[in-house]
Amino acid sequence: MEKNEITENNNTDERIFSVSEYITLLNIGLKKFKAKIIGEVSERKIASSGHVYFSLKDEQDGAIINSIIWKSAYNMYGIKLEDGMKIIAKGYPEIYAPLGKFSFIAEVIELAGEGELKKQYERLKKQLSGEGLFDEARKRSIPKYAQRIGLITSKQGAALADFLNNMGKFGFRIKMIDSRVEGQEAVVDLLRSLKSFKKEDIDVLAIIRGGGSFESLMSFNNEKLVREVANFPVPVIVGLGHHKDEPLVTFAADISVSTPTAVANYLNQSWEEAVLLLERYERNILSRYEEIFENYRVIENKLKISLESFKTKLSSAKMSLEYCLEKSITGFKSLLQEISQKIQHAQEVVSSNDPARQLELGYSIAMAGKKIIRSTKDIKIGEGFSLKVSDGEIGSEVKKIHPVK
Amino acid sequence: MAKDKKDSGNLNKNLKQLAEITEWFDKREEIDVEEGLEKVKKAISLIKESKARLKSIENEFEEIKKNIDLKEDENYEDKDF
Repeated sequence: MEKNEITENNNTDERIFSVSEYITLLNIGLKKFKAKIIGEVSERKIASSGHVYFSLKDEQDGAIINSIIWKSAYNMYGIKLEDGMKIIAKGYPEIYAPLGKFSFIAEVIELAGEGELKKQYERLKKQLSGEGLFDEARKRSIPKYAQRIGLITSKQGAALADFLNNMGKFGFRIKMIDSRVEGQEAVVDLLRSLKSFKKEDIDVLAIIRGGGSFESLMSFNNEKLVREVANFPVPVIVGLGHHKDEPLVTFAADISVSTPTAVANYLNQSWEEAVLLLERYERNILSRYEEIFENYRVIENKLKISLESFKTKLSSAKMSLEYCLEKSITGFKSLLQEISQKIQHAQEVVSSNDPARQLELGYSIAMAGKKIIRSTKDIKIGEGFSLKVSDGEIGSEVKKIHPVK
Repeated sequence: MAKDKKDSGNLNKNLKQLAEITEWFDKREEIDVEEGLEKVKKAISLIKESKARLKSIENEFEEIKKNIDLKEDENYEDKDF
């Protein structure tokens, strides 16, 4: 009978099993007894394979259960098991066939008791801080106007609703990976989610969950997770709703805020500022336009006034020119008239005094030698004299003189 | 220009001479017929010359005035465009 044919439904009453088959059957049944058990670590041995073998001892009565944690799980939770350490192991029982040995296969381990947890927390914090993993210089700023958001959270929690309700309508493209965020088991999901998002084209990664106790947030103190967050290719923002004893992931993240709502607000911020800026620019542009139009109106009015003024000046200059021309013309005309009058006057004077004209009228001029005879006393009887007439001279002699009284 | 000045100078000179002649006639109580005749001859010549010059100036003036009117009309035509 083949091993793979063995199921829990086999009729165990009639069937005869080989030892191996029976152990296989038992192991199928034992898997149902998955449980969390608390106890003290003893007889811890790390095999060359990396798997860890240890006993878990009951605190009360000293009862012991052999336990194994496989290398992969052991490395994942970052707890260095030591004898005397009180832990909670989650797993299932199994019989190891070659030895017929009953063992508890621990899938998840976590420290039990606040004291231990705190100690581990402080130790890891000191170690990672010493490595510079939490240095401010490493922090990257969340890119402005981030749109492609990677989101790791649980679908079940209120954190998702808080986050989505507070994300503004800025065209965000949110890709979410559902992950457990409570308890130590969450580490596996969280690491797997981070690995998936490494391949995605996102601007920023957000890890959120609601508030909880220090113990419930223990997965966020996982060394591997803290290192993954610190070295994530794009900036990481976390909002884990913590009150005190901040999970180490918050120190490793680029930005840590207290709640999922605060993460949403943070991502909204640059967009809201951009909207305000745009509104301000819009107002500035409008007012500047108004100013330009107003300036244009002022210039237009000034131009109109200038044109009117120029027109008036032009008209005035034209009138002045016309006046000057008119004045020149009339002045000159009157000058010509004046000259003409002077000539006329001279003509009249000359005409009235022209001796030739008198002679033409029949008058003559009597002259004794070169002297004009104006009186009877100017000449004596027997003396000669000449008479000037219009066309010549007549020689004469005085015969009589009759003075008139 | 120089000619204008000369002409203008001549006209002024003529007018001055005419004024002197008329004054001579106005003031003389005894008319020296010979001198008077000479004065009259001179005056007539001056009057004739002055009238001709005056006419020429008037014509020139009318020509200038016509040009001014013509230019104004051209300006108005420009404005219409």
